[in-house]
Amino acid sequence: MAREKSSKDNAQALFHSLRSAYAATPVNLKIIDLYVGFAVFTALIQVVYMATVGSFPFNSFLSGVLSCVGTAVLAVCLRIQVNKEFKDLPPERAFADFVLCNLVLHLVIMNFLG
Amino acid sequence: MKSLSFFFFFIFIISVFPFLCFSFNPESPTDRRVLVLLDDFSLKYSHSIFFNSLKSRCLNLEFKLSDDPSLSLQRYGQYLYDALILFCPSTKKFGGSLDLTAVIDFVDSGHDLILAADSTASDLIKNIATECGVDFDEDSSAMVIDHKSYAISGTEGDHSLIVSDDFIQSGAILGKTKIEAPVLFKGIAHSVNSANSLVLKVLSASPSAYSANPESKLLNPPLLTGSAISLVSVVQARNNARIMIAGSLDLFSNRLLRTAVQKAGSQDKYHKSGNEQFVTEISKWVFHERGHLKAVNLRHLRVGETDEPAMYRIKDDLKFSVEIHEWSGKNWEPYVADDVQVQFYMMSSYVLKTLSTNGKGLYLASFKVPDVYGVFQFKVDYHRLGYTSLSLSKQIPVRPFRHNEYERFITTAFPYYGASFTMMAGFFIFSILFLYNK
Repeated sequence: MAREKSSKDNAQALFHSLRSAYAATPVNLKIIDLYVGFAVFTALIQVVYMATVGSFPFNSFLSGVLSCVGTAVLAVCLRIQVNKEFKDLPPERAFADFVLCNLVLHLVIMNFLG
Repeated sequence: MKSLSFFFFFIFIISVFPFLCFSFNPESPTDRRVLVLLDDFSLKYSHSIFFNSLKSRCLNLEFKLSDDPSLSLQRYGQYLYDALILFCPSTKKFGGSLDLTAVIDFVDSGHDLILAADSTASDLIKNIATECGVDFDEDSSAMVIDHKSYAISGTEGDHSLIVSDDFIQSGAILGKTKIEAPVLFKGIAHSVNSANSLVLKVLSASPSAYSANPESKLLNPPLLTGSAISLVSVVQARNNARIMIAGSLDLFSNRLLRTAVQKAGSQDKYHKSGNEQFVTEISKWVFHERGHLKAVNLRHLRVGETDEPAMYRIKDDLKFSVEIHEWSGKNWEPYVADDVQVQFYMMSSYVLKTLSTNGKGLYLASFKVPDVYGVFQFKVDYHRLGYTSLSLSKQIPVRPFRHNEYERFITTAFPYYGASFTMMAGFFIFSILFLYNK
């Protein structure tokens, strides 16, 4: 009885500590997290649509999913490199890399979309 | 003076007579030349009603004896006559250059033939008939006898003058008006192979008829009996030559054309036999004055264009048209029917459509090219009883879509298009927010 209560308390204490730690992150990182969440959500919608309707223009499906996944990956890279604890690159350089990689990504997507 | 001018006027009138029948032209075959071979010239007078009816339809008859040494059907490779009438049943050998092979070659080159046999028929005549697909009774003394369907005459005969009304049901061969009176027949029987699709029995004997010698007692059962006995048959060859084979020369004679008919056992008395109508109508059919079809102008085009394309694409809309005419004896009349069909064929028929007509001989159909590519044929196959057969075909290739003929945007892929564009917009908005937030 006491152990169950303590495990539930532990879970709640863990959740609260995570929330308070997350609230302490800087705003621009939170914006990046929101962006990643949006990309993954869009990818999930496309996968569910393909599962119902079928994969007829498969190239279009791949192109759509790749745009979402690629965007998420590039945003995650940006988040790592822009973090104050990362000392290898200046954040401006990181943002410039992010923009260029996105341009290449969207060029490929437009081509493969058909 | 007056008599001289009258004389010149008379000469002028006489010289115009030949031009009353139009001159020969392969497109409009009036004024055809027919060679009539007879055993002796008395047939010219005993069958004059039949010959006169042929002459009145612009057929030039030339009467010759069958053993005339100057007989020939062709000279320097050209045929001298357009049709042949053999009213010479007892001829054992033709004169001149005519023989069995010459007659068969004449028919094979597309010309018409009327052959009449009777109880004196020789082997030559029977062999000509066999080559045409009709087998006469081998017993040379046999005649068709019918004890139930014979013609009542003054004397008690041997029932070999029989009466028949078992006609083939065909408006093309026997004309539109029904032959009311039955037909009188006195002659020999022949049979037709039922596997042969080109031979038709126009006048069959009644089920009680049989073929035997009327003078002697019957020792064995006769070989030819009943409705299997054909009295008059026609053959339409694949090159549209028409042959009529009759087992009786008396069928055409003035005597039988004019007598009254009463069938034994029935009360109906007809004051004139059906022979005249029968032989006139069937001779019209044999000489192509009825039932001869011609198909011209087989055309196909894509909807919206005026020229025939060299190639179609799958799922094109196309229109097909053909004109069918029927020879009426004097000119080409439009043929009207509702059962002409066109097939779009490659190994098997992909599209089969019944053509609709505008009443003037033009047949139209429109359909969509199927979703299969390859080399197709437009096929029109029209085979009807008594009509010449039409077998038309025209080849046309069908190609698949070119790479730029597919639909540009696929409807089922719209969510993916939408997702890609929203990601681009999201990237743009995000980078603004990221750079300019405090």
